[in-house]
Amino acid sequence: MNTIICRHCDLVSERPVLTKGYVAKCARCQHTLYKAKAANAKKILALALTALLLAPPAFSFSLVSVHLLGVTEQTNLLQGALLLIDFAPIVAFVVIFCAVVAPVLLAACMCFSSACIVLNKRPHLLSPVLKMTSLLIHWSMLEVYIVSFMVALFKLNSYADLYYDNGLFFLVALLILNMSMICEYSNAYYWDFFTNE
Amino acid sequence: MNTAMLIIGTSLPMNKPLKSGLSAIQQDTQLCKVCDRASSISLNKTHCPHCGTPISVRTKHSIQKTWALLCIAFIFIFPANIYPITYLLKNNEAYPDTIFSGIMTLVSTGMTGIAIIVFVASMLVPVLKIIALAVISLAAHFKWKINPKTQLLAYTIVDWIGRWSILDLFVISIMMAVFDKGNFLSVYPGIAATSFTVVVITTLFAAQSFDTRLIWDANLDAN
Ligand SMILES: [Zn+2]
Ligand SMILES: [Zn+2]
Repeated sequence: MNTIICRHCDLVSERPVLTKGYVAKCARCQHTLYKAKAANAKKILALALTALLLAPPAFSFSLVSVHLLGVTEQTNLLQGALLLIDFAPIVAFVVIFCAVVAPVLLAACMCFSSACIVLNKRPHLLSPVLKMTSLLIHWSMLEVYIVSFMVALFKLNSYADLYYDNGLFFLVALLILNMSMICEYSNAYYWDFFTNE
Repeated sequence: MNTAMLIIGTSLPMNKPLKSGLSAIQQDTQLCKVCDRASSISLNKTHCPHCGTPISVRTKHSIQKTWALLCIAFIFIFPANIYPITYLLKNNEAYPDTIFSGIMTLVSTGMTGIAIIVFVASMLVPVLKIIALAVISLAAHFKWKINPKTQLLAYTIVDWIGRWSILDLFVISIMMAVFDKGNFLSVYPGIAATSFTVVVITTLFAAQSFDTRLIWDANLDAN
């Protein structure tokens, strides 16, 4: 088929031949129709595997040490979210989901679907995994977490001395991996693979 | 999955070429939001012939869903701003902080930059988001002649910036963890924290349930 339909405004356009590095945009609403580069499943698989490996240290290692009245306290991401459960369960659920569950599940889903493409296998499980991937992209909010972390540090600076810990590097690395995965991923390409024998 | 395979096998009549420059809905064609593939509207009323997921030309009850979620958000935005969002426990005395008083404290301690970030994320964005989505969905429903490009731009901004409202909740979780074991200082979330979460989540879902193609459906003749 040589036409493409914009998912944002429903306009039918002819599919142009794109030179490498170019992006086709919808004439009516200016949203990206598709990119010249095809999604590289091997690259996504590598990124997702690395992300999965980095996730446990990123969430459980200490992000920051606070020196207060002679006592040093270490803080990690999971601990902060779990403490909330007793006081505000809904808040805790949202924080855990957006900062921990969604990014990890997203990496796991992309890992699975990219492995399917690399191995040229089409299991039935692939269809729900691809659906879940599109949903999770919306809810993975690591970048918001990093900025929140900086805001919290500024607030804390007036109370105590702060020292950065290793966990922060893992978390930033995880964020970068997550963003590159999402950039590289193409929903249409993965579905094309699944539905074409 | 078996039924999906059956459907894929039976009806795949994508032979007549589409005319570019027109909406797909005008040419009996629908795009599946799940797999990004086109199919005939009249031949595939319930399921996408490519991936087997339930399909509809436009998101079902899109405007009603958006409105219902916006109403919930509108109700909860009041407790979120009136009641304390955090309690700071200092020497066994609790100091409540609302979203606004928290921002004023930041300003008075000289952290104006952080105060602006928190103000935009926690107060400005939720309110703007509700107003913008309400106007866009009203315009789509009553076919108001507002420039569709402006509407989609507003929607895109709202959709992208909306996720940043969650910032304040993350900050609370970090503050709680930092002051966990200390007897001298501790931080607890207030009622407003839960209300604020409801506002953030419902507005995020409201944006997702709005089908942007409705903006152009309302302006088909105007283009
Ligand atoms: Zn478009
Ligand atoms: Zn489909």
